[in-house]
Amino acid sequence: MATAELVLGLLSGGPAHGYDVKRGHDAWFPDSRPLAFGQVYTTLGRLERDGLVEVVDKTSGGGPDRTVYALTSKGRDHLTDWLNDPVPPAWGSADEVLRKLVAAVRTGGDAAGFLARQRANHLRRIRELRETPADDDPTSPLVREYIVAHLDADLRWLDTALDRISEQRGTRS
Amino acid sequence: MSGSQAVLELDRVEYSYRRNTALRGVSLQLKPGEVVAVTGASGCGKSTLLHCAAGILTPDAGTIQVDGQDVAALREEERARLRRTKVGIVLQFGQLVPDLPLIDNVALPLLLDGHERGEAHLSAMNWLEQVGIADDADAVPTELSGGQTQRAAVARALVTGPSVVLADEPTGSLDSQGGQELLDVLLQAARYRGAALLMVTHDNLVASSADREIRLRDGLIQHEVSL
Repeated sequence: MATAELVLGLLSGGPAHGYDVKRGHDAWFPDSRPLAFGQVYTTLGRLERDGLVEVVDKTSGGGPDRTVYALTSKGRDHLTDWLNDPVPPAWGSADEVLRKLVAAVRTGGDAAGFLARQRANHLRRIRELRETPADDDPTSPLVREYIVAHLDADLRWLDTALDRISEQRGTRS
Repeated sequence: MSGSQAVLELDRVEYSYRRNTALRGVSLQLKPGEVVAVTGASGCGKSTLLHCAAGILTPDAGTIQVDGQDVAALREEERARLRRTKVGIVLQFGQLVPDLPLIDNVALPLLLDGHERGEAHLSAMNWLEQVGIADDADAVPTELSGGQTQRAAVARALVTGPSVVLADEPTGSLDSQGGQELLDVLLQAARYRGAALLMVTHDNLVASSADREIRLRDGLIQHEVSL
């Protein structure tokens, strides 16, 4: 799960401390499992170590320390790259596609461009699977058909998402 | 891309039905041998686009060139000849002549173009063989399955040696297995002839076999991606 990139996305609107990041994540994905505080702080620590975020404020006014984190330019570039890259189509990849889509919409990224590239990735994978030569293994066609059916379902959702994004863009303009 | 390189070139094509604008300025080019899928939701303009490219509909604005020839600049009989000889069309339900044996259905474009009957039948037979239904040459469409008549429609589209084949939901009337087989036949036939293929489809499995996908929305190109 791309928690690190989602944290970068959540910081793209401006500096925030861990608690805000956790609340922001849970607001973006109200139907999924809440992000654990431990995971937020571990992730922020790792991102700071890698130079993707930096501490911009640390106050201790009688209570516990409040560390405020901000995106670095390296972190912003990393986030942009992540939002632009389609997900390799595989089992469960739709979850990752959804995370990227939500993050792209929330951060003002090119959601339609991402969806178009993702659609192309899915179509290429279907073609590869369809062109795989038959072999003697009795289960391989079952597995291939399963994956193709799921990719096809993902594609139908991607189409709906593309239309919805276009409608929202049309309404705003 | 210049018109001389493209076998089919649409430039800012617009088309409206009485109160409904179907195409709002669509441009696309097809190179020789290229396979392009046009996708999009029902009503997005994809079939109108194909019918304009086929010369079945005349655009309100914009130009269409086939093999470098501006279709609108041709006289009516020249335009009809261009449609018969340079453009092959496969529609969803084959649209074969119901009472005519397959061999005559497939030979029809050649006969209309003035070819001698024996020569036209020989070419038709070769194409029926190519699409795997030579045994059914004497049968009439009503005696055959949807898959077989669609194969005959593919043969008829290719018998004149067109530069471009236009297919409107070619697998739409078939089940999954039949659709897969027909798609393979269509792709092989277009490749065998070296023709460019423009397929309008809502089927992702059909779209996945293309070199390029053009997705329409509300009469405009929403995106275009290489596959």
